[in-house]
Amino acid sequence: MTAMRRDLLLCGLFAAAALAWPMVSGLRYSVTQTTFFFIWATVVVQWNLVFGISGIFSLAQVALFAIGAYVTAMLGYYLGTSMLLAMPAGAVVAVIASIALGLACLRLYGPYVALLTLCVSQVLYVLIVNDTDCFTHPPAGCMPLMGGVRGFSRFGDLGFRDWLGSGFYIGNYYVGLALLTAAILFSILIIHSPMGLAFRALRDNPVYAAARGVDRFRYQLWIFGLSAFFTGLAGAFYAVNTGVVGPVVFSFPHLLFLLSMIVVGGVGTVWGPVIGAVVLMVADELMRELGDFRDIGMGLILVGCVVLMPKGLSGLFQSLSARLAGPAASAAEKAK
Amino acid sequence: MPLLSCRNVTKAFGSLMAVSDLSFDLAAGEVLGIGGPNGAGKTTLFEMISGQTRVTSGSVVLEGRDITRLSPVGRCHAGLARVFQLNTGFDSLTLRENVLVAAYYGRAPRRMPGFRIPSEVGDRVQEALCRVGLETRADRPAATLPVIDRKLLMIAGALAMSPKLLLLDEPVGGLTQREIDQVAEVVGRVAADGVTVVLIEHVMRFLVQLSSRVMILHHGKKLYEGDAAGLSRDRDVVEVYLGQGAGREVARLAAGREQGAQHAG
Repeated sequence: MTAMRRDLLLCGLFAAAALAWPMVSGLRYSVTQTTFFFIWATVVVQWNLVFGISGIFSLAQVALFAIGAYVTAMLGYYLGTSMLLAMPAGAVVAVIASIALGLACLRLYGPYVALLTLCVSQVLYVLIVNDTDCFTHPPAGCMPLMGGVRGFSRFGDLGFRDWLGSGFYIGNYYVGLALLTAAILFSILIIHSPMGLAFRALRDNPVYAAARGVDRFRYQLWIFGLSAFFTGLAGAFYAVNTGVVGPVVFSFPHLLFLLSMIVVGGVGTVWGPVIGAVVLMVADELMRELGDFRDIGMGLILVGCVVLMPKGLSGLFQSLSARLAGPAASAAEKAK
Repeated sequence: MPLLSCRNVTKAFGSLMAVSDLSFDLAAGEVLGIGGPNGAGKTTLFEMISGQTRVTSGSVVLEGRDITRLSPVGRCHAGLARVFQLNTGFDSLTLRENVLVAAYYGRAPRRMPGFRIPSEVGDRVQEALCRVGLETRADRPAATLPVIDRKLLMIAGALAMSPKLLLLDEPVGGLTQREIDQVAEVVGRVAADGVTVVLIEHVMRFLVQLSSRVMILHHGKKLYEGDAAGLSRDRDVVEVYLGQGAGREVARLAAGREQGAQHAG
């Protein structure tokens, strides 16, 4: 079985298990939390394409997520656009923004890419928060163009409230599941395709890659564009799912939380980010009662993972299975 | 028409002339060996031919086409493949994937990369791995390879591009005698298949054995150009580069090469 078949099979198993989850759990809280897991996992699976597969230290993913969320909310709020149209529109705007960022980062390497992309997202945050000029005057008072500190609410939903009544969250759950499944399939296709090969070659050695015909300019723009679509769509779905979009989506702790998921799960692997998202969200949930110690606990988990498992949980699984397969394989040799 | 023609190629780093007004032609099917003391400008010359460094002045012409302004990727697609001096490779990729990058991207620009590897490309990868003798280890990651195999892997990558011109920068630097013979055999077969080769090498045994013509550089200028037999008779080359002992050794090697050629004839 090729690596690609194995990953597609795992993706199918994951989707099947997740389909049954609302029936099994029955708890509204666990279903809505799982919906959030779908959203964050989608973002980190796409981020991993840039950060892990292509080795570009971009922190833009959270900004792209926020762009998807804001475009969707603003289209719904100002123009009354249906969410079914506004969501893909948000994703497309995120793609355009990402390609522009990719162009800006072309001459930068390593931490400088991180600095530039972080700057862009923080500047967006500051612009939104500091804008106090009223763009429109709704009954509630004053609405800045980008929503200001309060952000947007009541811009529309996917219609599950009318259709399913109080069970609307189940509808959102399945939309989230479809989103994550599509995002994982997309990432598997990219990683195992010739395009993924070019990204990995550029990550390992850009000069040598150029001498073997891989054009950094072209493939950097490709990876920025490709990784932005599902990130923007996740942002758009976040907006629809929560019903509120505010500047908190740009916040630095939020960015670190997502980045930690990739690191804990395993950078540059297909399943690492998904595993990391599960582990950190469960850990976050378990430490809910601890107050300020929650952040410290998160920090400890992250440090522990970096020190003890530099290749993340998926790296640990791999070396464990190799160790288990090792004796079995050598026994088979002897039997011959 | 020469396959490669360097015309008045110059590279200046500030006031230092790394390569100064150098011209030479290379006919298809030739093997040109370049030698010279450290700092003579050999690798800088390679960088200007393969595009990693821009020329200060002069031009590089491949098959009558001026490639002086082309990017390294463009030159790659024009038919030029370079093997680096350092043990370069894609460490996290397997050997097969290493060669696949070159086979898939190295021959012509890909406007829209597909989702599958065409079988014809896969065949070319397999063939290139076989030509250097790495086919049995194709699924190991490149990071685990010893030096000799990394050099061979780079050569396999270059061959998978089906180049017109192969540039080898110290392909046997740091290898043992047996390994040198192994690389010499591979390069000899490649040259026999009609690929034009330019190689930089300090190991005179390798240089003399393979080169149909030798050029010695010194301070960015041509000190000697001619057949290998003439090297040890040229007083400047012996003085600046070979030394008396190595000079006699080169004379012996060149004589052996001519004899070998006669036997073959």
